[in-house]
Amino acid sequence: MVQLTINGKQIEAPEGTTVLRAAESAGIKIPTLCDHKQLTPFGGCRLCIIEVQGFRVPIAACTLPVSNGMVVNTETEALKKSRKFILSMLFSERNHFCPFCQVSGGDCELQNAAYHEEMTSWPMQPGWNKFKVDTSHPYYVLDNNRCILCRRCVRACGELVGNFTLAVAERGASSMIVADYDVPLGESSCVKCGTCVQVCPTGALIDRSSAYQGHIESMKDIRSTCTGCSVGCTTTLRVRDNRVVRILGDWDGGVNRGLMCEVGRYKLLNDQRPRLTTPMLRKNGKLEPVSWDEALGAVADKLKPLAGKNAVAAVASTRLTAEALTSFKELFAEHLGGTTVTTLEEGINTAVLGEVAAELGSFEGKIDVLRNADTVLVFGENLVRNHMVAGFMVKRALPKGARLISVDGEASDLDELADIALKPAAGSLTALVKGLSAVVVKEGLGRTELKLACPEKVIEKAVKTSGVPADKLAEAARTLAHAVSPVILIGTGVTSQRDAEAIKAMIELAKLVGAVDSERVGLLALKGKSNSVTAAQLGLDGPFAINGQKVVFAALGDDVIPEPVAAKLAKAPYLVIQSAYATPLLDKAEVVLPAALWSEQEGHYVNLDGRVQKAVKAVRPPEGPRENAAVLGEIALRMNMPVKKDWHTELKERKSSVVLSGI
Amino acid sequence: MAKPKISSDWMCGCAGCHMSLLDMDERILKVVELAELRSTPITDLKEPDESGVDVGVLEGGINNSANEEVAKKMRKRAKILVALGDCAVFGGVPALRNFCGVQEALQRAYVDAESNEPGSQIPNDPELATMTLTRALHEVVPVDYNVPGCPPDADVIFYVLSELAQGRKPELKDELLHWD
Repeated sequence: MVQLTINGKQIEAPEGTTVLRAAESAGIKIPTLCDHKQLTPFGGCRLCIIEVQGFRVPIAACTLPVSNGMVVNTETEALKKSRKFILSMLFSERNHFCPFCQVSGGDCELQNAAYHEEMTSWPMQPGWNKFKVDTSHPYYVLDNNRCILCRRCVRACGELVGNFTLAVAERGASSMIVADYDVPLGESSCVKCGTCVQVCPTGALIDRSSAYQGHIESMKDIRSTCTGCSVGCTTTLRVRDNRVVRILGDWDGGVNRGLMCEVGRYKLLNDQRPRLTTPMLRKNGKLEPVSWDEALGAVADKLKPLAGKNAVAAVASTRLTAEALTSFKELFAEHLGGTTVTTLEEGINTAVLGEVAAELGSFEGKIDVLRNADTVLVFGENLVRNHMVAGFMVKRALPKGARLISVDGEASDLDELADIALKPAAGSLTALVKGLSAVVVKEGLGRTELKLACPEKVIEKAVKTSGVPADKLAEAARTLAHAVSPVILIGTGVTSQRDAEAIKAMIELAKLVGAVDSERVGLLALKGKSNSVTAAQLGLDGPFAINGQKVVFAALGDDVIPEPVAAKLAKAPYLVIQSAYATPLLDKAEVVLPAALWSEQEGHYVNLDGRVQKAVKAVRPPEGPRENAAVLGEIALRMNMPVKKDWHTELKERKSSVVLSGI
Repeated sequence: MAKPKISSDWMCGCAGCHMSLLDMDERILKVVELAELRSTPITDLKEPDESGVDVGVLEGGINNSANEEVAKKMRKRAKILVALGDCAVFGGVPALRNFCGVQEALQRAYVDAESNEPGSQIPNDPELATMTLTRALHEVVPVDYNVPGCPPDADVIFYVLSELAQGRKPELKDELLHWD
């Protein structure tokens, strides 16, 4: 620990801490602009200058490590004058026209800093150079006129997302933020995650959908969980006038710590499908709007006499809340005695994991292992396009020396990123994985007691069936075995094959190379949607098929229906659709029940590593749609079969491949 | 002792700052209690006293040679010069045309604009002021106080005028300091 004095206060800080952070921890705030708690210090804005006894000139606190006996002063008259001058120089440099900027009036860190230092004018006019305004991107605009070159966006794009799209071109006064080799942002390698917009301290990066919607202080910030995929990022929903104006990543959030992807940040707010607004009943061949009372009455009347006869099939979206899924199961599987009660995913990414867990117990770890991984082996997942936040955690480790091995029979964007990319032929995965283990055993690199009678034969079989060259197979195995903190990710390309042998082989490999041991579990399956795990725990992961049932209930939520299921639903004799959005299946529906959206109902979701998280009701639904769980409960009540089960208990009924946490 | 004299004028501005001044409502009576309001663009007297005033207030940036004369005259005749509003402080909205330059701006306004009669020309009467790049007040004359805002609130203007009228130095911070 280092002892130093800041503003007369004795402070202790671990070696390597910067003076800025040491001051912060002691409650002393030093003004900053280019600093961000999650990014490497840059020292570019010079606003955090401090006086250190014995130093010739003031120095930036954000890049100065503490040292024993240091005496620091952060507020002197000279420093105040200098900071005011620095700000006036920042304003002099580019075209800072406050009056019509969308962040002016409280949401601009540059302006707030200027107000704090009481800057009332600046000495020089900018050269009236028109800096580029890039409007090519669908979600944001980059206005270089407002940029202070703090490089937060560049650093975030590289250090947090691992994408490295943004960089600075030219030098000095001509410096510009550019994408790739100065191509329009909308045509660049940008993955549209929006992290740059979230970190920008000025109005240079303009979020199209939320600009000019009002100052942040006129809005409510609500903590919630993203329902975009199984990763389950913690989000901040910015709400005004009953509308979600913007979605931000929560810097303190569990899984993602501020990161979001295009799906969670933008796509969830930009669904163009028409909303269903009123319950409907088919009368004389035509769907007619009716009251909730009439619609629910019709459903209850239809279902009640069919109880216990396995005459009702039901399918739900894995994006429904745990509460809704629990009521769904209780109503259709238990009270009505249906045997075809499942989800739109049909357990495609979870059934096989449950099968293995029933035999071996839970075997998956938490996604946090990716933060310190030095080698990641991804089986069957294009992490550049799916589960993107998990992909960011992998990509950003690569420049730090982490190795990436991708094993995927399909074409994947990981092929170019990976150090080693294996493309096994279809159906050869288990043999390949066993081949990897065999190489490790043969070369004596294994950390378990696994013995093989003839590793050469296993390797030969792996090479023959997969078509992967022997030397590449060996290289991949060795890289994995030599890793200090390896992580193995099981992608949807694997789980969708529903091959338990492949999963077991991967578990064996994981133990063999030390990805899984008594200290850590560096093994995780990516799975599918926001509540795929909940559905699996409730046993809602069987196949969907109509086998003579008279009524089919489709609780679609806000999901999209996979084609095979849609085709089957179209043939239902009596179809009840509960959905937020219109779907072509409406033509076949007898009853339509409009559902609330993810942001319009509170509920729990279990993410890919077993975290139980809550998504809040941030806005009221429009007149008409109702929450999924409430409607299911109401139907049950009308049939005198109330749903009573508690999702907390139901989640624990089955052995899970993940360790449930946060219940 | 005679009350301090305050004079104001506007140049390349929208008059919004003077409207904001009027927004101080009945407090203007307090101001005239403390000081003597001499020339303003909205009262009878139009030029600051030749014998000089204590406080000169200018709204708007300098857009042409006529504005330059107004600015220089006010600077010469006022002991303390106040730049009122963003346009006077840094050029403001009219300064946006600096990105195109004087010739292009004139061409667009007088010749190319869709609403112009065919055959319109850039006026070139020798009696007209010559247009220049829009400049902040401090680019033409030394300024004693900068009062940002678009416009500055009535509260801010009242504060500045009453402080100056009482011989004090106004300090703009917290609620009194805003650029929008």
